[in-house]
Amino acid sequence: MQTDVLIIGNSAAGLSAAETIRKYDFDKKITIVSKESGPAYSRVLLPYVLRGKLDYDNLFIRDGNYYIENNFYYIEGLIVSVNTESKTAVCESSEIIKYDSLLIATGSNPVKPPIPGIESEGVYHMWTKDDLDHLMPHFNKDKRVVVIGSGFVSLQAAWSAVCKGLKVTVIELADRIMPSVIDNKGAEILTGKIKECGVDLRIDTLTLAIKKRDDGTFVIDLKDQSSIEADFIIVGTGVKPNTSFLEETDIDIDRGICVNRYMQTSVDDVYAAGDVAGGPTAFGDQHQIHALWPTAIEMGKVAGMNILGKQFVYEGSLNMNVTQMYDMTVASMGQFTDNLDCDEHLMPESSGMGYLKICAKDDQIIGACLIGKTSAMKIFGMLRPVIRLNKKLKVDITRLESDLQKLTYGVAH
Amino acid sequence: MKTVSIDRSKCVGCRNCEMACAFARTGTTCESQESNIKVNHYLDERVLMPMTCLHCSEAWCMSVCPAGAISRNADTNAVVIDEDRCAGCKMCMLACPFGNIHFDNEKLVSRKCDLCDGAPKCVEHCIAGALKYEDMNDNAAALRCKNDHKLIAQAL
Ligand SMILES: Cc1cc2nc3c(=O)[nH]c(=O)nc-3n(C[C@H](O)[C@H](O)[C@H](O)COP(=O)(O)OP(=O)(O)OC[C@H]3O[C@@H](n4cnc5c(N)ncnc54)[C@H](O)[C@@H]3O)c2cc1C
Repeated sequence: MQTDVLIIGNSAAGLSAAETIRKYDFDKKITIVSKESGPAYSRVLLPYVLRGKLDYDNLFIRDGNYYIENNFYYIEGLIVSVNTESKTAVCESSEIIKYDSLLIATGSNPVKPPIPGIESEGVYHMWTKDDLDHLMPHFNKDKRVVVIGSGFVSLQAAWSAVCKGLKVTVIELADRIMPSVIDNKGAEILTGKIKECGVDLRIDTLTLAIKKRDDGTFVIDLKDQSSIEADFIIVGTGVKPNTSFLEETDIDIDRGICVNRYMQTSVDDVYAAGDVAGGPTAFGDQHQIHALWPTAIEMGKVAGMNILGKQFVYEGSLNMNVTQMYDMTVASMGQFTDNLDCDEHLMPESSGMGYLKICAKDDQIIGACLIGKTSAMKIFGMLRPVIRLNKKLKVDITRLESDLQKLTYGVAH
Repeated sequence: MKTVSIDRSKCVGCRNCEMACAFARTGTTCESQESNIKVNHYLDERVLMPMTCLHCSEAWCMSVCPAGAISRNADTNAVVIDEDRCAGCKMCMLACPFGNIHFDNEKLVSRKCDLCDGAPKCVEHCIAGALKYEDMNDNAAALRCKNDHKLIAQAL
């Protein structure tokens, strides 16, 4: 078949691009392909469904008539190869799709660390709807789960298990939790909360082996620590961009697909966006993979505009993260880690916001990190344009919220 | 399309809008923390400023919501949150550059101005004529809204 625009990926980045194109052009033939069957759903919601906050049906983020109403041609199938010279993509079913423009929005997939026994039945990820379907029947009171990894997704999985009354153990190789999402102090506070919630948290230890017993339960052996018993296991130790089907092409890949400010890859008429792509950031990096939902939406929009020929320049991605877990709002944005050469401003306890750190350099805020209360989230929202547009603001932490409002709304002295 | 326009110079800081909004939402309380409109006082600058959702034409909160819970009401043009679909993830609060999305700590969902289905209570109870619900195509209103649109363009 022939299409004007081929979008591989039916999620944040792919749909954002498709919708952007449709906004300006109703006739262009847009074909969306997904290896996962069924209508679009949101990965972000998986932990919320697992812990019972959301109904299963709410996973699906576009209604039933979406594809027809928007005139999108939707194919359920796996793309196995792409030829950028003949401008074709091949499905597993051997169907060949010829395109004018191609957008690769294939996201990322979890990696399996090399632990003996990790392929056993009963060892899962929490990454797709399929994973959720496998996990749901296990989320019963009295079951014991071991979560390997303590990143953002793993800790949410563990929190869902806590909410459902399971006995939870979390194993982390590093000497602290959530290395890239919060700073050391934040990690320490959250560690306290996680333990208070009854989680057996094991940091600084290597998982040596996963052994399955005849009765179907597991024993997990750790380095220098006692073994743990479990009924099932969730592995969340990082993800890897889905690029294997591009091996025969000339597209530049450095972990992710390298894209410029227009979401163009190194090959003409081929674009990439979302978790699969490494793009420019607000801080001047050239090819950074964020693997975050808001970045995927933004990149998809930029790709869509440029597929339309609108010469739309991306201002660069700004990492931002937020979730509610262990009764805390956990959020971060921009640059906030401990090794930075910058001024750190801590919100006083009297604000009631919890632990909120603002990082600034030469009267310019560069990032923030929160383990605390929802009331601090407005600060994060207002910070986004301030960080992105390099607006000057001398940080007086006690007046920060109102200073940000004044800056935002143009209230002058 | 109609929207709530704000004329800062007329606001007297009585907070009637906050109370009206809180009561319209809850039916039980006028406490201002329950309100979706906030009046800020900047004493040094001698400025009073009501803040409420601008229902941005390119609403970032709506694009970014990972739950498909935010949409535009076809009748009122308001950007609204479906609380059954809202996961309470707070991504919309990260997205709103104006700090105009709030959180319902009981239902654990985000909340924001929905223009009261076309009859905004904040406007009804504004005693100073600072808040008006008017057609943006109307010249005078357009002028008042221009400031907001400039802000939106700057922030997004
Ligand atoms: C449990 C969980 C919680 C998360 N929570 C947050 C959060 O709170 N905040 C946040 O910012 N981010 C969060 N994320 C990350 C966020 O979900 C991703 O950044 C986002 O989904 C990326 O969107 P994408 O469109 O790039 O890729 P994906 O959502 O991964 O979609 C990839 C699409 O490509 C298709 N595909 C892949 N390969 C092929 C192929 N070869 N052929 C055909 N189709 C293919 C897939 O079927 C899918 O439709 C979370 C992720 C998970 C798993």
